[in-house]
Formats: sequence, C-alpha cells, structure tokens
Amino acid sequence: MKKLIIFITVAVLTYTLAVTFKDIPFGENRIGDLNNPGTVSAYYLQKAPEDLHVSNTITAVVVNFRGFDTLGEVTVLFLAATGLASILYRKEDEEEDERITLKSSSLVRTGAKILFPLMLVLGLYVFIHGHLTPGGGFQGGAIIATGFLLMLITYKRFNTNHNVMVWLESIAGLAFVGIGLFGLFRYGSFLQNTGWTGNLNDLVSGGLIPLIYIFIGIKVGTELTNVLDILLKIKPRKN
Amino acid sequence: MDTLNNILTYVGLGFVLLGSIFLFLGALGIYRMPDLYNRLQAGTKASTLGAMSVVLGVGLMQPDWLIKLLVIIIFIGVSNPLSSHALARASYRSGIFPFFKKKIDAYEAEVEKEKMSAETHDPASKCGNK
Repeated sequence: MKKLIIFITVAVLTYTLAVTFKDIPFGENRIGDLNNPGTVSAYYLQKAPEDLHVSNTITAVVVNFRGFDTLGEVTVLFLAATGLASILYRKEDEEEDERITLKSSSLVRTGAKILFPLMLVLGLYVFIHGHLTPGGGFQGGAIIATGFLLMLITYKRFNTNHNVMVWLESIAGLAFVGIGLFGLFRYGSFLQNTGWTGNLNDLVSGGLIPLIYIFIGIKVGTELTNVLDILLKIKPRKN
Repeated sequence: MDTLNNILTYVGLGFVLLGSIFLFLGALGIYRMPDLYNRLQAGTKASTLGAMSVVLGVGLMQPDWLIKLLVIIIFIGVSNPLSSHALARASYRSGIFPFFKKKIDAYEAEVEKEKMSAETHDPASKCGNK
C-alpha cells in the first residue's frame, strides 16, 4: 500500500513536471538582439561592457543596476549579526571567555597554519576581482570567514581583535553609503557610476564597482567572523 | 612547438582520465564500504589523488594556468587528508567503532593517556596553543 502511494505520488509529480517543461523552449535564444535590446537581459548584456566597462555582467547588475537592493542585503546581514550578538552576548562570562571546542591534534594545528593564509588570499582575490571573474564581495567575505572559522575551532587561544573587527565593519558599511551619496551629489542619483570607468577587462576598471565590492567583502568577512566567534562561545547553561 | 603542445595535451588528457577513474572508485568506495573509517579512506585517498590528477591534467593542457593550478594542488594535498584525519579522530572519540573486530588499537592507549593527564593537571594546560 505504501509503495503504491509512493508510486502514484512520483507519477503525478513527474507528469506535472513534464507538462510544465514541455512548453518551455530550452536552448532557444530568448534574449533577442544584443545591438537592439528588446528585453532586460539584452539591455544588461549590452550596457554592462559598453557603458560601465565591466566584464562580469552579474557584478554590474548586483552593484550598479540594482545597487540599492545590495545595500539592503548588506543591511539585512548586519541586522542578523547584531541580533545574534544582542541575544547571545553574556557579560558575566567575560572572564572565562573560552570556546567550547576540544583540543585539536597537532596535525590539524600545523595544517591550519598553512591553510589559513591561503584562504585569506583566496578570499581577497575573489572580492578584488569581483568585476572580472565569478564571485564577489559576499563570496569572498564568506571565504575569509571560513578561514577564521578554521583558526577559531583549531586554536583555543586564537582571538580576533574585537575592536578592530567592529571598526572595519563600520567603516566598510559607511564607505558603501558614502559612495552612494557621492554618486547622488556628483551625478545626480544614488550609487550612480558614469564617470571614469577605465578599460574593459582591466583590474582598475568599472569605476566605483570594484571599490564597492571590496567594502562589501570586508564587511561580510568581519560580520560572519564575529557571528562565528559568538556562536562558538555559547556554553551549556549552568544550573 | 606545435608537437610539444600536442604531446602535452594528450598527456593532460591521460591525467584527466586517470583522475576521473580514481574519483569514480572513491565514489564507489563510499557507497560500498561497510563502516565510517573504510568510507573515509576510500573517499579521501581516492578523491585526493583523483582531484589532483584532474587539476594537473588541465594544467598540462593549458600551460598558462599551471602555476595557479599547482597552488590548488598543494591546497588539496594539505586540506583533504587533514579534514579526513579530523573526522576520523572526532568519530573515534565520540565512540564509533569499526565494523570488523579490532585486533590492534594503538590510539586507545593514547586517548587513555590524554584523559589521565587531563585529570591530574590543571585545566590551563589543556589549551590548544602550545
């Protein structure tokens, strides 16, 4: 009986999916003519290299065409980190400020020392080249936070300087808003970026886009590191 | 120059083939092996060698990328065995025993010794940093 029900469910789902996918023209050119854009996709694909000199169209969309939305995303992450900190931070534990991790083996401790700088370099690379290669501020920041997580769970005495982290995060966030306001006063619209944009495929190109992505990368990296640090310090409640 | 590039391409293709065979064997091992430790060694040893030779093969086919790819190979060579070591250690300590009856267990004595020293010494000496 159970098998019959499973079979019928799977059959119905397969039929529904097949009917839905039957009408979608896979592999067809639905973007249209790039030189004479009739759709939004064609507009982006044409305008990103032409006007902004950014080879990664996704970055152009995320940071420039819907840059205000990205500011909102950064704010959401900031609020999440703040909320977590305000719920989990406990002042009376400040003296025994130790993580709950067990002692790791010497193999892991040596390996973490080798891997940590490599991970930081990879994260920096990903968000500095956000306008040229796949990836960007959020991805690079997440990679950096992963590197810090490795150190935090490997070494009990490894601590990030809280003040430096908070300052970096605040300055990066303020810089993002500042760049937006610069666009507002200089070009007449928030996050506008139509001034000097450099040559296509250069590291220094795209005007304000790499700058914004670097600040986003710093902000995401420090925020996620703080979140991980706080989460690793939760202790079982003493009765 | 053209012949050299051709030879390098074919050698690279051979490395990619070898790597994909090892990756397949690793996947098969994860599916077929009876317990965690066997699966770990199938999944780690085979997939480390497989991923390394695939990356090396791509590097031989595209010599421009070779330096970057060598860095990736070093990264895989360091991180993959390390993570499997940490996983195996953690699973041993949380009480997962091998599928077959164990004959020799050198790590048991080590764990006992560590527990003893943790009880006798003060907690400050247990810290991860030396």
